[in-house]
Order: sequence, then structure tokens, then C-alpha cells
Amino acid sequence: MVTAEVSERRLAIPNNPITGVLLAIPAYFFGVWLGNLFGLIDDQNTGVILGYVFATAAFLIGVGFLNYPLERLFGWSVSPITEPDENRGLGRFFRLSLDHKVIGMQYLVTILIMLLFGGIGAMAIRTSLLSPNSAITPPGQYIMLIGLHAVMMIFITSAVIVGPFGNYLVPLMIGARRMAFPRLEALSFWVVPPAAVILAAAAFWGGFPTGWTGYPPLSEQAGQGMDSYIVGFALIAIALVSSGVNMLATIITLRAPGMTWTRLPIFVWGIFTTSILGLLAAPVLAAALVQLTLDRTVQTSFFLASNGGSNYLWQNLFWFFGHPEVYIFILPAFGIIMEIVPHFARKPLWGYRTGVVGLFGVALLSWFVWQHHLFVSGIAPVLRPFYMLSTELISIPTGIIFLVTLGTLWRARVWFTVPMLFCMGFLFNFLIGGISGVYLSDVPTDVTLHGSYFSMAHFHYTIMGGEIFALMAACYYWLPKMTGKMLSPTIGRLHFWWMFIAFNSTFFPLFIIGLLNMPRRVSAYDPGLQGLNTWVTVSAYFLFGSMILFAGNLIYSLFFVSRKAVANPWHARSLEWQVPTPVPARNFDRVPLIVAGPYDYGVPNARPVADFGGRVGATGGG
Amino acid sequence: MAVRTHAGAALPEAELALDARVVSVGVWLFLSADLFFFAGWWFSYFYLRALNNNNAWIVDGLTRPNKAFGLVVLLLFILSAVTYWATTRVAVRSALFGLLAPVSLVLGVAACLFQGYGMWHLGFGLTQGGYPSVFAGSTVSWLIQIVFAVVWLATVVAQVGPAGDTRRRPHAAASFGWILLFLAAIGIINYFLLYLVA
Amino acid sequence: MSTFRIEEADRPHVIRLAILWVILSVIGVIAVLQIQIPPGDETVQGADQTRTLSLMTAMATPVFIGVVMMIIYSAIYFRRKGRELVDGPPMLGNAPVQVVWITVSTIMVLFLAFVGITELATNSSAQTVPGQSSGTAAAGGSEMQVQVIAQQWYFTYRYADYSGVETTHLYLPVDRPVELHVTSLDIIHSFWAYQLGVKADANPGVDNVFHVTPQKLGSFQVRCAELCGIWHGEMADSQGQVVSQSDFDSWIAQQQQDYAAIQKVVPSYAPFYFPLPLTKGS
Repeated sequence: MVTAEVSERRLAIPNNPITGVLLAIPAYFFGVWLGNLFGLIDDQNTGVILGYVFATAAFLIGVGFLNYPLERLFGWSVSPITEPDENRGLGRFFRLSLDHKVIGMQYLVTILIMLLFGGIGAMAIRTSLLSPNSAITPPGQYIMLIGLHAVMMIFITSAVIVGPFGNYLVPLMIGARRMAFPRLEALSFWVVPPAAVILAAAAFWGGFPTGWTGYPPLSEQAGQGMDSYIVGFALIAIALVSSGVNMLATIITLRAPGMTWTRLPIFVWGIFTTSILGLLAAPVLAAALVQLTLDRTVQTSFFLASNGGSNYLWQNLFWFFGHPEVYIFILPAFGIIMEIVPHFARKPLWGYRTGVVGLFGVALLSWFVWQHHLFVSGIAPVLRPFYMLSTELISIPTGIIFLVTLGTLWRARVWFTVPMLFCMGFLFNFLIGGISGVYLSDVPTDVTLHGSYFSMAHFHYTIMGGEIFALMAACYYWLPKMTGKMLSPTIGRLHFWWMFIAFNSTFFPLFIIGLLNMPRRVSAYDPGLQGLNTWVTVSAYFLFGSMILFAGNLIYSLFFVSRKAVANPWHARSLEWQVPTPVPARNFDRVPLIVAGPYDYGVPNARPVADFGGRVGATGGG
Repeated sequence: MAVRTHAGAALPEAELALDARVVSVGVWLFLSADLFFFAGWWFSYFYLRALNNNNAWIVDGLTRPNKAFGLVVLLLFILSAVTYWATTRVAVRSALFGLLAPVSLVLGVAACLFQGYGMWHLGFGLTQGGYPSVFAGSTVSWLIQIVFAVVWLATVVAQVGPAGDTRRRPHAAASFGWILLFLAAIGIINYFLLYLVA
Repeated sequence: MSTFRIEEADRPHVIRLAILWVILSVIGVIAVLQIQIPPGDETVQGADQTRTLSLMTAMATPVFIGVVMMIIYSAIYFRRKGRELVDGPPMLGNAPVQVVWITVSTIMVLFLAFVGITELATNSSAQTVPGQSSGTAAAGGSEMQVQVIAQQWYFTYRYADYSGVETTHLYLPVDRPVELHVTSLDIIHSFWAYQLGVKADANPGVDNVFHVTPQKLGSFQVRCAELCGIWHGEMADSQGQVVSQSDFDSWIAQQQQDYAAIQKVVPSYAPFYFPLPLTKGS
């Protein structure tokens, strides 16, 4: 390999988030000024949207995303992405880094901070519901709270597993020394903090009244807070697409020699299927958001029935994105559960191929079910039997996930660690979430359950009881590799039981409340339901307390006790545990040669998973 | 302007082959996402057209966009895309590419400018019903994408020099040709739907 | 596929689990069938929904019990005994078990879909496209036409058969099929009459048709079930009534009288209607 020293010119501005913020503030005001120049001054929507867009662009430029295009445009020598980032200091976490491990950690910290804010929103909502009328929070503030909580949580849950764990672990699991498109990967992270800030900025405009669904015409009637919804969601769509391109390309092209499709860890399959959904669903949302923007700024009429539009257009486009979106949440969680259980059951993953088929079945069917959100909306009633059937069919591949997990546990030698506890908790919660989904898929019962607390309880069981429990399992399982420190198992056990009981005590009564005539998103409800609601609120406080306990465990274990993790504390076979801790800058000295599957526990004469001294491969130079 | 140095200009052969595959797969993935984006617009078009709520898909007396003008823009971009794509098929490292890529760039810039002018002088108000909304929305979406594509095309042209990235990684420049071709195809479909069928 | 045979080591677990599952399921199903599930039997549609909910709960119970039992059983019996790590038996999968699992879940799902579709096809809770009539509506066009008009933040009701009188509360005569035409004047609302078993989105510019047949006297609540702005939570009315035909006649006569008096002074409840207010025979 030729190693000539090449001089490279670049723009002489320091690239870091502070520069980004300093550029973003004037850019925002410039956008507002420009928008008010051309748009309708009286509603300022053009200005606010342009302000957000310019501010985000300026922030990204300040962070350093313009360097590469400019280097190219000026004909300078471009910096190759194949160069390892040898910087091991703490500063790398606060800069644009192309190292997938740094991006994973950046994502994890950002998302956990966002989770705190989303959780505080939930507590405010529950506090308001202590009173059956609007005595505690006025209705305007109440719908602002539910909007902010909902959209913040959607942002979080879209990325909470793919972002930290997908980015960090996929290259390690497939034996790659880098990601396929590190710049896209970095972009998929760096748009998330602006999205969160822009969303939070809605509070200054009085929030937006539509919840996360953003149904027009209400969202066209809404004030400037709605602009935050549009720009924030658009940024998340960008994150989903760029992360999808990067993940899929990485998994398709950068697998180590010997890493055949049937040796791929099932978590990677979870990321793979979820990336397909994100890649293809988010652009549809983007198109709908452009339409909403045009309606709100230049007064087009995409969603106004009186002027040639239709509010069903938004409902169709939104749910065509929205239903795959909820599987974007859960597929990586399925991956985590099926990944972790074999390592602690000390058995091969039972029915690996069936499990992969299950993941793909869910991913495929999720495209054909979106109108089940619209059973009572009046759209094409003749199509309802089809959507009812397709929705109910999804429970077959979902059932496969349970079959695979329970089959793996059968006659196992289960080592009950904290991640394993969370996996068991996931199974219980997601079972309830899944069964309640069948209730909602049936048209006659959906007529009474739709839009009630029953559906709200259903998706909290699947997202919080499912995805967040899987997230906790992943944190306890993989953080030793990512941070080099073990999390305290004693606090972990307490955390699990506390969270599990508080979670079920919070959300199970909501099924009953929903059956008893309480619609979602109301600040005032039937006083007869106050007893149950108070119970739920108190449980929700305990649930929040369990999350605080988790944060405490993180801080305590990472900064105060510092129990150093060995390279492979769980004695797991899979590839990511075979690299040293902390993981070297380029993951592997040489590209490993994969010689066996990751789950061959108890298989006679099973070979170790990879040969690390092997050949020099071609993934990432150097 | 800061100067920093790094090691290694030339990439080993194996690395280049892998890079070619990565970029090619990435481009196809991106195009599939972009197809869904425009599919969202086509769905909107057919949906609103079929519903024709309040008979306001096209209101009486609406000035239609100029078909000839639209055709000029479209042809400019098609020429740009096809020129670029065809020369990359021959060879990115050839002198022909160095000659024709700038031509393609000029054609692309012209298409963007004409389309931008066209959007500024629509001839109808955006509040005039369903069709003006869909026309403006999908054309603006296409315009923004071709602007980004043309900017990238400019960076490819800027890097044709002997030490440039286009010369070092010709496969990446060749894969980019598919994006131009794809956007041209979208332009043709949009022209058919928005100008001819309406 | 070889013949289905339970391995020696599996046998005690399988027998234990099977017995436990049958006992618990029987108890569970009997228990859940005792639960009085809303919305109740005030209308034919509500009764249908209650029945379907009971059926689903009865079907879900054995599934739920089976899986939870497996989780707890694994936690107890398949736990590692000693301190050192031991690998379990290397079972890679079992084709017959997978086939059985998938077949059973498919049959259950198809059965549920069949039940749902049958109800949609035969039952008057079916929502229909405007202009078409559903099952029971075909009975000589005897359905009473009521247009439900939603706006921020209340519902009004226009009785097309009674010279288009518009009221603020919904009264329905018992045992007479009603065709509800739900629409909105501004943004999306959802008309949810809980005890009636009706929920229909009210979209501006759309006539969303639902059918309901009250079969018992009583009152019902009306709520908005789609987020519609700040007073969404207060968009409710608890004065809906299912009354006898004679009571209904006197009530509607009173309403017509009041309405005629009001109409002289103030315009109708909304400045303009799109789609146009429903009138008889439209």
C-alpha cells in the first residue's frame, strides 16, 4: 500500500457543536426574516419553518458536515473514510466522529436524556389526570403536554435500539472494521439533537394540539408550535433513511469472510428488517410533511376537502408510514430478545431460520395493514375485511418470536442474570400487548375500543413493555462491552422487579378504563373513573422512580464503583464478545474468518466462532 | 484555510473493489427510498384526482402550466443525465468523460434554473384547488432533488483532476449516474401525469 | 419429517405442563366468561360487540395462560442448578413442533377473521358507503335518518324525517333501525356513543354512514373520540336517550316547535354545511 503524505486543505473553522449552535442562532433569525419577507407575516409559519431548517443546516455545517462536499467541490484532496480515528480522548464524543462506536455512545447518551424529558412529560400528564376535570392543568396545556410527550417518545423509540446498539454492535457482530457509510451514519445521529430541541421549542409557541398523528385540518388550524412537529419529524425521517441506507449496505457488503447469512446473529437480522422498514416508510412521511408544510405556508389545499383536497390523504400517507413505524420500534427488540436468550439459556437458538422468517413476515405484512387505524374513519368501508385479515395475520409471525424464545428456554440451563430477567419481562408484557392488538384488529370490537384508553394501553404495552424492556436488557447486557464497566446486578434486580410491577400496575388498569368509556387525550373524564385513574397515576410515579433507579445504577456503576468488565463477562460465544474491551479503534487487527455460528452452545466439538489470526480482508483498509 | 496531512492517497485493489460494491448497493438502497417518496406524491395525485372533492381538483378557468416550457426543462435534465450516465458506461477515467461531464453539468444547471423560473411564474394561484397543490408540491420536491444532484455532479466534475476523487474512485462516479437517470425517469413520469393527463 | 415422537427427557415436562394447562385454561375461561364486558346490550350493535369481546377473551385466555405458564415453568425448572456454567442440550429446532404452532395460530387467526368478517357482512353495525344500504337497512327503507353534525366542540343532530329539525341532544326511539350520517363542519371529530356501540369519525366534507338499532330503553353518553383541539375533553353529552316511540314522538314535536321559533330569530347551527344537510330522500 502506498503511504504518501498528502496535504489536505479544509475550511478553517473549528468543527464542534458549539460552533454549530453559534451558527444556528443567527441562521434561525435569518430564516424567520426571509420567511416573513415572502410568506404571510400574520401567521409567521413560513418564517418559523425556514428558521428551523436554516438553523439545523447551520448546526450541521458547524459540526462539520459541509467539509466533505466543499473539499470535493473545490477540487481539494478529500479525506478518506478508511482512516481510523485514533483519538481516544473524551473529546471525541463531543465532535463529529466517523467511528461507529463513538456514534453509538453519542446516541445512547442523547436518547437517554431525551427519555428523561419524555418521561417527565408523562408524569405531568398523569398528574393532570388526578382530577377528572381540568383543575390541575388547563386543557390547552394538557394537549400541549400529550403532543410533546407523544412526539418526543416517537423520536426516541424510532432510534433507541438501532441508534446506540445497532451502530455500536452491528460491525462487531458481522466482523467489519467500519460501517459502509460513516458520514451518513454520523448524520443519522447529528440530526437527532436538533430534532429534539426544535420539538421542545414548540413549548414556546404553546405546543401543538394534534398528538403525534398530526391530523389535518386540526394541524392546519394549529399555531406555530405545529411547525416544530413538521421540522422535527422531517429530521427524524432523514435519520431513518440515512441510518437505513448505512445499516443495510453494511450488513450486505461488509460481512467478514465466512459470515454467511445463516451465521448472522439474530440481532443483526432484527436491525436488517427494521432498516428496510425505516428506509422505505420514512420517505412517505416526508412527502406528507412537505404537503402539510405547503398547506400551512403557501396555502395549498392538500388536506382541505372544501378546496379539492382530502384529510384522508394525510391519514393514508401518515399511517402508511405510521404502521411500519411501530414495527421499526419492535423488530430490533425482537432481535435483542432472541439474541440474549440463547447466551443465558446456554443453548443454541431454537429454530433460527423460523425466527428470521418471523422477522421478515412481520416486516412484510406491516405494509398491508395501515388502514386498521382508520376502521371508523369512513375510508373505503369495503376494504375493512382485508385490513382486518392482514392485521390478524401479523400475529402469526409475531407468535413465531415467542415460539423461538420458548423453544430456546426448553430444558435449558438458564443463568438468571439481569438481562435475562428483562427478557422474561418482555415476553410477559409483549404477550399482553400482542393479544390486546388482536382485539383492536377486529372491526366490531374496534368500533368500541378505537381511540379509547384501551388502544393507548395496547401500544404502551408493546412499546414500553416491549421495546423499553428490551432496551434495558440490552443496556445490562452490552454496556459492559461498550463502557468497560459492569452495571451493578443487585440494583439491576431491584430495578427489574420494581419496573416490572410498576409498569403492569400502571398500564393494565388502562385497558379497563378504556373499556369503560374513556377516550384518549382528554383532560376531563367521567368522575366515576377517578379512582382507577388515581391508582394509575400513583403507579406511574413508581414507574418513573424505577427509571430514576436505572439512571442511578448507571451513574453509580460507571463513575463510583467502577467494577471493570472483563472482555467477555457473560462467557458468550458471539463475535462481539471476542474483541478486547475497550474495543480497539478498528475493531479487529485483521478481518476475522468466521468459522461457526454464534449460538452453538453444547454442540459437540463446536469450533470457536472466528479465527482472528486469519487473512487480511478488505473491510476498511489500514 | 487549514492544512493537515494524512497518509495514503492510493487505495489497494481489494479495497477499491469493496468500495465499488458498497457505493453501488448504497445507491440502489437510496433510490428505493426515493422511489417511495415519489410514490407518496403519485398516490396523492391519483387520490385527490379521483376524489375531486367539491369539484375543486381543477377549478373552471384554471390556467394550465405551459407544456412546452415543462418539456424544455425535462429535456435539458434528461440530456444531462443521459450524457453523464452514458459516458460513465464508457469509462470515467477517459478523456471523453473529462469533456462531457462538464457539458452534463451545464445542462443540469440550466434545467434547475429554468425549473426555478417556472415555479416562480406558475400562472395560477396555489390556493386554486387540488391540482395546483399537487403540481407545485411534486415539482418543488423534484426540483430540490435535482438541485442537490447537480451540486453533487459539480463536485464530481471538480474532482476529475489526476489526484481527484473521481479519478481515484471511478466506480463511485459511475454509480452516481444512476441517481441522475432515476431523477430523469421521475421527471418523465411527473411530466406525463402533471402536464399531459392532469 | 419423521413421525412425531416425544423424547424421553421431554416427557415429564410435557405431561406436567399439559395437565396444568388444561386445568388452568378451563378455570380461566369459565372465570373470564363471568366478566360483564361493556358496551352492553342497549343496542343490537352493542350486544354484538360485547359478544365478540367475550369470545376473544375466552380464546385469548388459554393462549395467555399457556405462554405465561411456559415462562414461569422455564424460570423454575430450567434454571441453572450449580454455580458453574453448563451448556444445555444442543437442540436446533423441531420441525413438527414449529408446524403445529404455526398451524394452530393460523387456524385461530383465520377463525377470528371469519367471525369478524361474518359480523361485518350480516350485521347492521356495518358501516356503509353513502347511497348503499347494508343488511337490515334493506328492509323497505324504514331506517330513521339522523345526521350527526360535529363542530368544535359539540354535536348537533338533524332529524331528516322530521323536517330537518336540529337538536342538541340525541333521542332515539327503541326498536327502530337508525342510519347515522356523521359529518363535521371544521376538523375531524369522532362521534362515540358508547352504550350504543357506535363510533364514527366525523370528517369535513364526508358523509360517514353507521347503523344502529336500539333494543332497550335507557340513557347513553356521547363523547368525541378524536383529538379536536383544546376542549376535546369537554366535548361530551350525557343526555342521550333511547325512549319509547310515543315518548319520542312527543319529544320531537316539542323540538320542532322550539326549532321553528328559534329559526325565526337566529340562523341554523352552522353558517354553512358541506356536505349539505341531509334531507329525506337525498
